[in-house]
Parts: sequence; C-alpha cells; structure tokens
Amino acid sequence: MVQRDLALLEKHGVTSLDDLPPEVQAVREGHVAQSDAFAYGLLPADSQDARKLPPNNGYTSKVRVLDRYKVIGFISSGTYGRVYKAVGVNEQSGEFAIKKFKPDKEGEMIQYTGISQSACREMALCSELSHPNMIHLVEIILEDKCIFMVFEYAEHDLLQIIQHHIQPTRHPIPASAIKSILFQLLSGLLYLHTNWVLHRDLKPANIMVTSKGEVRIGDLGLARLFYKPLHNLFSGDKVVVTIWYRAPELLLGSRHYTPAIDLWAVGCIFAELLSLRPIFKGEEAKMDSKKTVPFQKNQMQKIVEILGMPTKAKWPGLVHQPEFTQLQSISSAVREASQGNTGLESWYWNTLKSTGYPDSPPSANPGAQGLDLLAKLLEYDPAKRLTAEQALQHPYFTANGDRVTANCFEGMTTQYPHRRVSAEDNDIRTSSLPGTKRGGLPDDSLTGRPTKRMKE
Amino acid sequence: MAANYWASTQRRHWQFSRETLSEIRQQLEDEERALVQQYPLPDRRLLSIFFNQQLGKLGKKMNVRQQALATAQVYIRRFYSKVEIRRTNPYLVLATALYLACKMEECPQHIRMVVSEARQQWPADFIISDVSKLGECEFYLISEMNSQLIIHHPYRTLHEFQGTLSMAQDDISLAWSIINDHYLTDLPLLVPPHVVAVTAMFLALTLKPTQTGLQAVASTAVSLNSVSPMSKELPGTTPGPPNTQQKKVQHLVSWLAEGEIDIKAVVECSQEIISLYDIWEQYNEKTCKEQIVRFVKARGLDK
Ligand SMILES: Nc1ncnc2c1ncn2[C@@H]1O[C@H](COP(=O)(O)OP(=O)(O)OP(=O)(O)O)[C@@H](O)[C@H]1O
Ligand SMILES: [Mg+2]
Repeated sequence: MVQRDLALLEKHGVTSLDDLPPEVQAVREGHVAQSDAFAYGLLPADSQDARKLPPNNGYTSKVRVLDRYKVIGFISSGTYGRVYKAVGVNEQSGEFAIKKFKPDKEGEMIQYTGISQSACREMALCSELSHPNMIHLVEIILEDKCIFMVFEYAEHDLLQIIQHHIQPTRHPIPASAIKSILFQLLSGLLYLHTNWVLHRDLKPANIMVTSKGEVRIGDLGLARLFYKPLHNLFSGDKVVVTIWYRAPELLLGSRHYTPAIDLWAVGCIFAELLSLRPIFKGEEAKMDSKKTVPFQKNQMQKIVEILGMPTKAKWPGLVHQPEFTQLQSISSAVREASQGNTGLESWYWNTLKSTGYPDSPPSANPGAQGLDLLAKLLEYDPAKRLTAEQALQHPYFTANGDRVTANCFEGMTTQYPHRRVSAEDNDIRTSSLPGTKRGGLPDDSLTGRPTKRMKE
Repeated sequence: MAANYWASTQRRHWQFSRETLSEIRQQLEDEERALVQQYPLPDRRLLSIFFNQQLGKLGKKMNVRQQALATAQVYIRRFYSKVEIRRTNPYLVLATALYLACKMEECPQHIRMVVSEARQQWPADFIISDVSKLGECEFYLISEMNSQLIIHHPYRTLHEFQGTLSMAQDDISLAWSIINDHYLTDLPLLVPPHVVAVTAMFLALTLKPTQTGLQAVASTAVSLNSVSPMSKELPGTTPGPPNTQQKKVQHLVSWLAEGEIDIKAVVECSQEIISLYDIWEQYNEKTCKEQIVRFVKARGLDK
C-alpha cells in the first residue's frame, strides 16, 4: 500500500502532501477504497496495477486528466465511449465535458488495439476547426490507453429542450427561439461546409446549447472532409446519419452525396422543433447476416407520406439512384394518400395549430416564411436543396422586421433543467466494459431513438 | 480550418522558419549529446530517402495511395522534430505513421494487416507481432503531434493549377514526382504547400523535357545548379530548354507575377530540391540500415 501511495504521488507530480488531489488524499486516508476516477470508470481498472510497475520505455502521457480535471459525474454513453462532466482544477477552471474513447477489450486486459478511424477523424477535425457555433475543444489527452477529449461544457442540447416542451403537456418552443437556433445551426454548418467538412450526423442530441443560449454543433464522430476521394465516401462507412434524419438520396443508395445531406437533416430538425416529434419517424431495417445494407423502405415511406412521391420531373437524377426500383415497392396506398401534393403545407399548418402557436403577434408564429424555408430544406433533389449559405439568406430570418437573437433564450421565461449528471456509484469494473455498448443514455431508451452507426 | 491552409494547424503550428527548425533540432540533440555521439546517422535527407523507400515497399503491398504515403512522411518528420530518433524504433514509427495516415487519408488498413506486412517487409524481429506495440506508438505519434493530423499537400494545388495553366500531361507527371521528392527534405515544415506546387511546376518546365524519372532529373538538376543559381533563371532564360518550353516558363512566370505567390520562397524551395538531387548520389541503403539497426539493437528498442 505504501508503495502504491508513493507511485500515486509521483504520478501526480506531488511533492508536498498539501498538493494532493482529493481523490488521492481519500485513498491515503483510507476513506474510500478507490478514487472517484476509478469508481466512475474514467480510468481503466488495470491502470491501478500499472502504477505499481516501474515505468518502461513505452508511451506515457505528459498530461494527466486527473491533474487537470475533477470528474463530477457521468453524462452519457454513446457509440464510441462515455461522456463525463468535470470541473477544472489547478490552472483550469470552469465546467467541462470529457468524452472518453476506450480501446476494445482483448481478454481481461485493456490493450492498445489501434484507434478507430472515427475517433481519429473526430480528434483531427476538432483540433482544426473553431467557430462560435461549433463545440469548443479544450484539449485531447491520451492516457492509459484511453483518449480523453475535453470540451467546453454545454448545459443543454436540442433533444433535451424538445423533451422539456412535451412535459407535462405539449407547449411550443417560442418562434423566436427556433429562429435563433436555426440561424446559429446554419452558421455553424456553413462554416463546416466552407471548410469541406460534412457533418453527416446532425440530429437534436448532437446539437448542444450553452446556458447562454449559444448553439454548438457537436459530435464530429462521423464528420469528414469531402475533398478526399469521393468513391470512399460511400464505401468507407456503411451507415451514415441516424435514420430519421437521413436524406432521400442516401436512402436511395446514392454514392455521390454532398453537403446537401446535412441540410436535409437541418430541415428535419426544424420540423422537429416545431412539432416536438420527429417528422419522419421510420423504423430502421436491420442489416442482414450478409451485412448488405437493406433498402430503408419504412423510412422512405414516412417521407413519401408527407412530401408525396418524388418525381423525375422535380428530381431529374431520381432514376439514376441505385435503389430507384425499390421506390416502386412503396405501397400504392401510401402513394395515393400522397397524391394531393400539399402534404408538407398541411402538415405544417396543422402542426403549428396543434403545438399551440398563436396567430398573433406575427413574430410569435413561424408563419408562411417558415413553411417556405422548410420546404426548400426538405427538397428531394439534393441539387436544388438550399445550401447553408442560401438558407441563411432566407426571408424567414428577416420576416416581420425581426432580428435574430444571438442568445436563443432571449426574452424567454422558461428555465430548462440542467443536464442530467449521474453520480451513480459505478462498480469499478464498469470501466472495462467496451465503450461501444449503448443503452446507458436514459433519454434514448425512453424515446426509442434509433442507433445510427456501426463501428468501422 | 480543415480546408483552408491559412487557418490550419499546419500553418499555425507546423510551419517553421529555417532558424527555428534548426534551433529545435539543436536543442533535441543537446539533450541527448551522448546518444547522438555514440550512434552517428547519415544526413537527414539520406535517412529520409531510406524511410521513404521502406514506406513505399510497405505501402505497395497494401495498395496505399501516394497521398497517404506523403501524409505518413510528414507525420514522421513532425514526430522526429520533437523526439530524438535514437530513442525510438524507426521501423515501428514508420509502420505506425503509415497506419495512421491511411486512416486520415480515407484508405484505412487493419492494424493486424499493417503489422503482418511490416514483419514480412522488414527483419521480423523489428516489429513484434503483438499489435499493441503499434497501437501504443500511435498514441505517441498523435500526442507529439497534438492531434493535429490534417495535412495540406501540394498535390491539390497542382491539380487546381493544371487546369488554369493548361499544362501538358508530361509536365504534370514530372511536377507530381518532384512533389513526391520534396517530402525527403525539410520543405514540408518550412513552406506552404502551394509554394511547393509552384516550385514543382517551375522545375518541371525548366528541367530538360526529354528526361524523366528521378535519376535523370537529379543529374540535370545537378548541372543546372552548377551553371547558374535558380534566381537568375526566373525571368525565363533557362539554359537548354527548347522554345516551346521557354514559352511555358514565361507563361508560368507572368502568371506568378500576377498572383500573390512569394517568388523568393519559390527560389529557395527550388534550391532545396536541387540540392536534394545533388546529395542523392551519396545515398547508400545499406549504410542507413546498418546505422539504424545498430542503435535499435544496442538499446533494445525493438522489444
Ligand atoms: N460538450 C458537451 N457538454 C455537455 N454534454 C455533452 C457534450 N458533448 C457531448 N455531450 C453529451 O454526451 C452525448 C454523447 O456525446 P457525443 O454525441 O459526442 O458522443 P457519441 O459517442 O458520438 O454519442 P452518440 O453515439 O450517442 O451520438 C451527447 O448527446 C450529449 O448529451
Ligand atoms: Mg452523438
């Protein structure tokens, strides 16, 4: 025990006992069996043993997560790892979100197995990009076979905001807030696209909002540069964009996709902010045993139900889509029901009514300009769909002589609840579960939100 | 910014002046004085030729694109600007840099594949079969590079210029191979990629068009260099090239003058590449290998 304490001290670069981080002090004083960090699973279980060993000539991090941050609790577990809330210690101050990527487990020991391509992209892109509407990366620490990406902490996200408005009863997100959110989201997206970055996974859970009402695009786990060889854009990753936000050209198997896929997702998010439920809530067809990607018939059907069948007249490239013939399989009933072709328009006005948007004053209602913008984002033909730049110019943002507020909460009385952070007393072994397990996010399991991607 | 060189981490953190770069290197050597003296190494450019050949062999077996090889070379150069080479197993660093570069350049290779190819390529005892060593080295590389992994290459600029300047296919291929060669020098840490692209086009047009291929270029370059300094050639009075070639050069020069390309940087860059071709004559694969093997084995860095 003494030896281990010494190792701990050294590890923390501590020379005076007063400098001890609290979790080490606790260990010293024998109050708790493990430091919080182990309990939360922030550090792998076997790193404790590693501390007993003399340093070999392998890789050791110069910066230690626990020297700089104190973990407060667990936020979420996603596709690639877990997200923790932390506060800065020593020279760092403020609140942070630490996204931890874990290597796969090989047998009982956590081993270096090579970093996933997705994590590589996320690290590289986050280090490169910087914009007021992008989540800010503070630093990346590679320590104990894990990757810790430290981000500024964002108190809210759009999923959480939407869910707040359906409880206890449905009440609309103010029109001015939606306008601000959309404007900020599009500004961030314009920045990404002018830098040749496709996000590819825009959805409410990945769009963060700070307590000051600033929108921050997050989760660049699927993002990538699109000037890189295009043939790989499709073959590289089998599944892209959570199904409900997936653009029709992707559903139809397009191999030449473009930034337009992100704008379709923005359209879906706009619609969801208005109606407080996903506009195209399809069921994902699972991959079969041969790992061929099935045609997402149900999802396509949901789109057709509201927008009507895509036609060659409106979308000349339609017939060249690989899955074009599959489109015929969408039941004729759906097709007939969608004959009217005013689908989106009636969806829109019905939605505004049922969510409870008042008719006046005009600024309290997303209005006809909102419909026009939405229709142009949910345009079947990716070539005709608005670009981020065009969308930002849309009269929706200037209608009624409004100005778009930089704080999306401006003038609101609603107080959104703080992000749920569980200080659950995780068993130390939790940390050795692969980070790829899903299901730790209560919100996801509640609403049955679909998973989006496979590990590459 | 990812696609904008001016705002990139490459320009902000990995572009040095010659003086700064040599100070950084000097400091690194000073810290390891004994090691450096004990294990002498060839000129950095010769070592780079060796690395590039080894990478090329490994890449060929895995069908890796040139751009990924180029990215790997930049990673290696960045890494060794921060870590003394004699503290590492260069074979492991090479394989790891290529593994990482393939992921970043969208042609990922499985880690097991890289390890097993590397073991076939090189004396198997230089890369242990356990993938965790390579995985660990990847952490080391990324950490030393501060996760700044997006590399801007001159190829893209060359491709863009190709249209505007309507260059002949031969000239483009030659420029392309000159770009390949610049990774053997410190230029990737010294000048912006578009300057390298312009230099490569310039050299492609001024070097004798009948000769292609590295060695041919090298010998021409040597003679070119001894005849007159590059700076004098810029007005378009290159020795030798036929008339049409001269016109192309003039076209390029006037085009350069219109733009905001730093002519002085182009001249310096040309000189650097020409002196590379100069020193190339001294390259000896066996010597490089022996000197590397010596410190790797003696220090047990392959374990
Ligand atoms: N900077 C942050 N501040 C606060 N919470 C955050 C932050 N970043 C991420 N989160 C929370 O963690 C969740 C998962 O993060 P992220 O989307 O980056 O990871 P992921 O592994 O890609 O997850 P998923 O597979 O669910 O998309 C987010 O939906 C959000 O709730
Ligand atoms: Mg996410």
